[in-house]
Amino acid sequence: MRAGFLAGLLAAACGYAWIAFAELAWLSSAGRLGPAFFPRLIGVALVALTAWSLGDELRRRAPEPVSGHGRVTAALAVLSALFVAALEPLGGLLAMLAYLAAALALLNRRRTLQNVLLATLLPAAIYLVFRVWLNAAVPRGPFGF
Amino acid sequence: MDLFANLWLGFTVAVTPLNLAYLFAGVMIGMVVGIIPGFGPAAALAVLLPITFGMEPAGAVIMLAAIYYGSQYGGTITSILLNTPGESSSVASTFDGYPLAQQGRAGPALVMQAVASFVGGTFGVVLITLLAPPFAQLARSFGPPEFFLLVMMGLATLIVMIGGNWRLGLVSALIGFALGTVGVDLETGNSRYTFGSAELIGGIDFIPVAIGLFGLGELYYAFWSGLHVTGSGGVVRLEKGGRFWPELRDYVETRWSLARGSLLGFVVGVLPGAGATVASLMSYSIEKSVSRTPEKFGKGAMAGLVGPEAANNAASSGAMVPLLTLGIPGSAATAVLLAAFILWGLTPGPLLMAQKPEFAWGLIASMYLGNMALLALNIFAIPLFVQMIKLPYRLLAPSVIVICTIGTYSVNGSLIETWLMLAAGVAGFFMRLGGFSPAALVLALVLGPLAEQSLRQSLTISSGSFAIFVERPVSLTLLCLTAALLAGGIYARVSQRRAIS
Repeated sequence: MRAGFLAGLLAAACGYAWIAFAELAWLSSAGRLGPAFFPRLIGVALVALTAWSLGDELRRRAPEPVSGHGRVTAALAVLSALFVAALEPLGGLLAMLAYLAAALALLNRRRTLQNVLLATLLPAAIYLVFRVWLNAAVPRGPFGF
Repeated sequence: MDLFANLWLGFTVAVTPLNLAYLFAGVMIGMVVGIIPGFGPAAALAVLLPITFGMEPAGAVIMLAAIYYGSQYGGTITSILLNTPGESSSVASTFDGYPLAQQGRAGPALVMQAVASFVGGTFGVVLITLLAPPFAQLARSFGPPEFFLLVMMGLATLIVMIGGNWRLGLVSALIGFALGTVGVDLETGNSRYTFGSAELIGGIDFIPVAIGLFGLGELYYAFWSGLHVTGSGGVVRLEKGGRFWPELRDYVETRWSLARGSLLGFVVGVLPGAGATVASLMSYSIEKSVSRTPEKFGKGAMAGLVGPEAANNAASSGAMVPLLTLGIPGSAATAVLLAAFILWGLTPGPLLMAQKPEFAWGLIASMYLGNMALLALNIFAIPLFVQMIKLPYRLLAPSVIVICTIGTYSVNGSLIETWLMLAAGVAGFFMRLGGFSPAALVLALVLGPLAEQSLRQSLTISSGSFAIFVERPVSLTLLCLTAALLAGGIYARVSQRRAIS
């Protein structure tokens, strides 16, 4: 898994360095160090160190076994993405309610009353604190909340 | 005399009813944050930052700082009762705290950790009071080369001292620097890495990144590790008939551990990049090496709990010195505090104490009161916090994700920043899994623009010569200090490995 992450990072680092060399100027029009100076230093170092780490990772004969609760972690990440996607179409309050209902149904099975109470009371409390008390930005949905 | 007048001014700011209320709210939240595994002070500060928008700057920063140092107290409760540190800085407290609880001495262990935290924290605040003004005076002579070297010193120390792999730590810092270059170049006005997006012209705000890395990323990692399944089944009970208060010999035997831990913690805390985790592990190692009965360490030695506890609290106080006097944070949590200062129009640095004395001294005075409140809370509200430990993670985690998401959105009302927070959360999970350092990334993101600006200014002054970093006495001193810190860091890592083994 680390090798995959490093490979993705190396690709991004190459892209970053390429832009620093191809599109940004080393010196400004006044002859001072320009906008490319720092990105080029970072880009070169990032590509070199990531490639070195990836090489080490690939040379390892027996990679470390990866074990964990992958399914539930992935499900939680997908639910989080759906929650963010639903924020503006549904509004903050409804999106929170829907997310908590789904997440608790997944994680806290067979405790329906507990889940219903948490999924309704927590969004209401957060909405009151952020929207009403602090007047902070909470997305408004088609029903105005 | 000035010192007392300034401190008096600080107390007049800190003891207003509203600021006292914010202070108590902060220490309570800090305790709770410390107790929740996988949700650190950096994430809590970042999430709660929007809540402070309606407050006066002094009250807001008093509350946020209280969350920061309060979390150091809370993290140890789970170390003792659950053998699970709430914060990385409480890892050393599990070594002897949990064995003490298993031996039926949970009460004395909890009281002694509260006393040690109070002594360490208060000792640190006394030293801030004494040392911050001359430190600020000294910092006024710093120019671009010194600021660049300070940033490098902080990051180098962080990379060497924290984490298992220095190369991955350095990669993390470089990612942070790279993200810090996104936006308009302030010297030339050219856009960099914005890809035509208006949202990226102002750069990448580090608050969504911090919330994602330290909030969501840590939560995902906790789920991956199965914390939602194991829950709090291993909590050691506080026996009703058991002795709650420590014996006199507990205080007598650990008095020097308290003193050593407090002093060591403060010194380590002042150094940018070191911090509470390093301080507590170094303290444990020292206590074990000076003890007449080192064989008791790991089996329930009170000195093994008291020294690291005093050290991590003194370090969290010490970390306020570079933040207040140089504007340079030494950890992810103090980086968020720096962001809070900037949000309120305050610029931490050499001039803060002279230009905004009521704010700087109000914060320092509040730390005396906050430590007292935390001591009382830790002793008399332990049953309440024990109940909180029992709150199942499967209920807690979705609630925290909701707060992180709504908290991020509310900062600027930006859905793009909310997506950025989510992406940082996923990246943070993989970083934790792969042994990278999210703290180095956030610190580099915050300090990147300062590093770039000071490096370019230094090279402009010197007409492109790097000799400027060794020609100026202060720069040369900082370079030597960095070299000494790196050597010390390597020694500390070896000591940590010995302590853990």
